[in-house]
Amino acid sequence: MASPSPKSPEQSEKNKQYDRQLRLWGDHGQAALENGHICLINATALGTEILKSIVLPGVGAITIVDHNIVAEEDIGSNFFLDCSSKGLNRGTETLRLLLELNPAVQGHAVQEPTEQILQENPDFFKSFSIVVATSLGEKIIQDLAQHLWDINVPFILCRSVGFLGSFRIQIKEHAIIETHPENEQIGLRLDVPFPALAQYLDTFDIDTLDLKDHGQIPWIVILYKAVQKWQLSNQNRWPMSRKEKNEIKEIIQEFIRKDENGIPIEEENFEEALRAVNTALVPTFLPVKIQELLYCSSATNLTKDSLPFWIMCSALRNFIEAEGKSKLPLRGVLPDMTSSTEHYVKLQSMYRTQAVMEAEIVYRKVQEIVAQLHCESISETEVKLFCRHSHDLHLIKGSNIAMEYQLGSNSVASYIARYLEEPDVMMVHYILLRAAEIFRSEHCRAPGEWEPEADIAKLKTCVSRLLTDISCSPFPKDDHIHEMCRYGGAEIHSVSAFLGGCIAQEAIKIVTKQYNPVNNTFIYDGASTNTATFTF
Amino acid sequence: MVARVAGVFDEKLTEAIANSKILVVGAGGIGCEILKNLVLTGFPYIEIIDLDTIDVSNLNRQFLFHKEHVGKSKAQVAKDSALSFNPSVNIIAHHDSVISNDYGVNYFKQFNMVMNALDNRVARNHVNRMCLAANIPLIETGTAGYAGQVELIQKGQTQCYECQPKAPQKSFPGCTIRNTPSEPIHCIVWAKHLFNQLFGEEDPDQDVSPDTADPEAAGDAGASALRTEGTEAGNVERKSTRAWASETNYDPEKLFSKLFGDDIRYLLSMENLWKKRRPPTPLTWNNLPGKGNPTAQHSGLPDQRVWSMHECAQVFGDSCKALQADLKNRPEGDHLVWDKDEKSAMDFVTACANIRAHIFNIPLKSRFEIKSMAGNIIPAIATANAIVAGLAVLRAQNLLKGETRACTSVYLRPKVNHRGQLFVPEKTLTAPNPKCYVCASKPEVALACNLKQLTLKDLNAAFKDGLNMQAPDAVVEGKGLVVLSSEPGETDHNNEKTLEEIGLNDGSALVVDDFLQNYEVRVILQQKDEEKSWRLVTDPDIPMPGPKEEKPANGSNGADEPKPGPSCSKEDSDSDMEIIEEDDTGEPAPKPPKRRKVGMNNEIVDLC
Ligand SMILES: [Zn+2]
Repeated sequence: MASPSPKSPEQSEKNKQYDRQLRLWGDHGQAALENGHICLINATALGTEILKSIVLPGVGAITIVDHNIVAEEDIGSNFFLDCSSKGLNRGTETLRLLLELNPAVQGHAVQEPTEQILQENPDFFKSFSIVVATSLGEKIIQDLAQHLWDINVPFILCRSVGFLGSFRIQIKEHAIIETHPENEQIGLRLDVPFPALAQYLDTFDIDTLDLKDHGQIPWIVILYKAVQKWQLSNQNRWPMSRKEKNEIKEIIQEFIRKDENGIPIEEENFEEALRAVNTALVPTFLPVKIQELLYCSSATNLTKDSLPFWIMCSALRNFIEAEGKSKLPLRGVLPDMTSSTEHYVKLQSMYRTQAVMEAEIVYRKVQEIVAQLHCESISETEVKLFCRHSHDLHLIKGSNIAMEYQLGSNSVASYIARYLEEPDVMMVHYILLRAAEIFRSEHCRAPGEWEPEADIAKLKTCVSRLLTDISCSPFPKDDHIHEMCRYGGAEIHSVSAFLGGCIAQEAIKIVTKQYNPVNNTFIYDGASTNTATFTF
Repeated sequence: MVARVAGVFDEKLTEAIANSKILVVGAGGIGCEILKNLVLTGFPYIEIIDLDTIDVSNLNRQFLFHKEHVGKSKAQVAKDSALSFNPSVNIIAHHDSVISNDYGVNYFKQFNMVMNALDNRVARNHVNRMCLAANIPLIETGTAGYAGQVELIQKGQTQCYECQPKAPQKSFPGCTIRNTPSEPIHCIVWAKHLFNQLFGEEDPDQDVSPDTADPEAAGDAGASALRTEGTEAGNVERKSTRAWASETNYDPEKLFSKLFGDDIRYLLSMENLWKKRRPPTPLTWNNLPGKGNPTAQHSGLPDQRVWSMHECAQVFGDSCKALQADLKNRPEGDHLVWDKDEKSAMDFVTACANIRAHIFNIPLKSRFEIKSMAGNIIPAIATANAIVAGLAVLRAQNLLKGETRACTSVYLRPKVNHRGQLFVPEKTLTAPNPKCYVCASKPEVALACNLKQLTLKDLNAAFKDGLNMQAPDAVVEGKGLVVLSSEPGETDHNNEKTLEEIGLNDGSALVVDDFLQNYEVRVILQQKDEEKSWRLVTDPDIPMPGPKEEKPANGSNGADEPKPGPSCSKEDSDSDMEIIEEDDTGEPAPKPPKRRKVGMNNEIVDLC
């Protein structure tokens, strides 16, 4: 039967709509995003901007928790609200307008206060991929953070007040398989070629090939041959130093054919081999960081509830100790090179076959573990992806916001104090944002919202209390406190738009489990246009 | 709300905003965000220009547009959407190219600042010059995936967009494209040229037939012999490819036989080309590999699978027919514009590129990969656009407050760097390059070329492609002799004359100006015997752009491709991180400036 012609290979309407982002995080990233469910507490301008940038790329679902009624200032700062929304529930209205951006996204609005949900129905939060909160007071932040820490749901605490803004990511443990490193090791195993590769490399004799074929030798082969030649006079060592690598380059130069006048003939593949000497001759090794990961207690003491990541780490460790002979699985990706299709395809399939074989071994080990533990199965695709990126796995171990807020009792206080001594003005902003939260908790409004002048003293008390807790002397000047009261809790749209983009971007990194998110705090000061990150 | 903000902003800023007029160029991902931010910050008067119409692939980030807007003017829909949220703002939308006589220096002068949200260099260069000429600040923005940047361009205080020559781009000689491709991209470029030859704007510099002038093939008796035989292929050389295709009624089999059979056999006859290379293998329509094979198993999406030759030929046939039908439905003389998001156009290029790759023993690529390479697709997401647009409007506020010094360039990184920075700012404003051939007080640049070979036509191309001019006029310094005029026809009779023939020699200086850009530069000619084409020299240490030929890279409608230059030329990849292009927002297709006369051809391709 004749093969059907590839019918309209491009794609569903959905893929067309998402084309530009699929090229960033791939189909599996998109699938992860579409399985994601983001909960927003308080549909402020900042909260709405965050959701907007998550709804557009097609998150699975959003839930807005907000018991507030749309007020005049919401209409001014929140792009999606207009006068017709006035007096209605802010979450419901915002949700309705946000969903117009992308009909594929599911949405829910909950009109109860967060405090009430936390008390009456704490399991409510269990189903979310991330909970994002804006404009909360200190007390509820601590309770919510502790609860989300306990049930292991990532939490992003966000603030936008006047020209100041920040976000704090609380995530117990976040494993990233696809970190997208800037310089990926090529990992060709030229120093320890697998049998099929060794056999293939040995079939070449650079000196006897005719010119046409000489120009088609893949640079991998050229490099290998050069090292072999070098090893004859170097006790079969592997070239490591710059000097030794230069010697390899000289050997490659000698390989290049000369014309009748003794002038070297330009051959692109040999040029490529020369360029590859520095990067492709890195010996195969197990990075310390990965070794630590594979031998940490989460990977060695598996339980039924262990995450797939740890089960795969454990299987990988078993592989390395046995079949892998201290090596990570082959990535199986062949870089582009000048060569005949024949050679290229052959090499490519060789690397691919070997990579598949090694990944299959790891997969079998994963299956064994899964069977032993009676836990949920892990797909072969997942294991393959894990193996392909095993050189760059990354683990973030986060910290609890509730702990950060109990100053004086832990290392956070000295961490903050150290920055305040510098003096680091961005840490001053952190103190002010925290003080404003205490203010909100105690007075149920933002500092300066009603009485800018009268609130200065009250806010100053909050600042002093914080500074005492971390054993720091009071600020020499009050201008930051005045500024905060002048803001009156108002959001500047561009600040919220900017921060909203930042927070949505980090949320997507977390949901897709690609790229390392900020660990764990980001602060922005629009007045000085400075930014900073801190790790509490 | 405005009252609340009045409390937050100081009086000076509130007043400056109330009296401001802002021009936003581009209504794509960043442009939509900027517009929204301006409206909600209380900016009372905004003009927005964008030539583009809305495509489905915009909807993942350009939030002012919804599905029902596909095909409509971006500028207009953006305006309407924004107004529905704040009807009191005065927004004026122009569905137009910013490169137009309608937007001259005086037009720019009425604004307090310009905010660029563009996706291509040609328009960026142009707006840069207009803002320099009008002496108003320009906030330049761009994103690529998770990365982005915002910078201020202010005459005399900062670098301009053209102070640092953009990294010379990877170049593909025309003969590589036409005769001896060795990489997939060569075949993709060829396939895009073929599209233009058959259905698009015919351009003699995008010839797809064998290049008999290839220096490597010199002295090939075989080739000349074959040519005099007057084969069908030989005839086609002298006829336009389109005319011939049209005569055959775009019969896929006939087209296939010529392009992938006869032309390849012709190349084989140029024996010198294949001394060191593996010769290509011509294909026959009825005997293609992969026929009868079941479709190979592949786990990914259908367009991520590499097609067999048989499948390629079928797609070739189907897409040819579809494109022909599309062309037929258009008014006489109209043509198609290649668009990576248009199914048949993309199918055609995928099939042709892969068939040619197969012939030349080059690895094949999937449609998904070819789309990236042919369309120079830069990933674009809502989040990075929001970040960059937020920063841009905050910068605009700084500027209005007179805090120019605070407006240093800032770069958004895909992840926190080793110094703990997610945003990397410049510490100070980046000073202008005193040797910049655009913003220096007396701009000057040297042009290295062989005066005995370079024609005036080439010189015109050098000014357009190398100096990014739209309509150059050139006068010999001190003599007043007009060598090039932007008036149609005025100097055309000299087109084929060499520079030497019109009396220019080593060291001659030309005063070249572009009326529209209000830009004048002194060009000193340097005789270089070995120079095959031309090369700009400002600082001997800095590589400068040479002629362009090729740019698979372009916006959604292909119209921002620079005009091709001389035969051996270059590839514009546009992916250097220095200027981040926001994908397909936009300002493609520079419209030919009307200049002083009315009545000249000012037709513009309708891109809808
Ligand atoms: Zn400049």
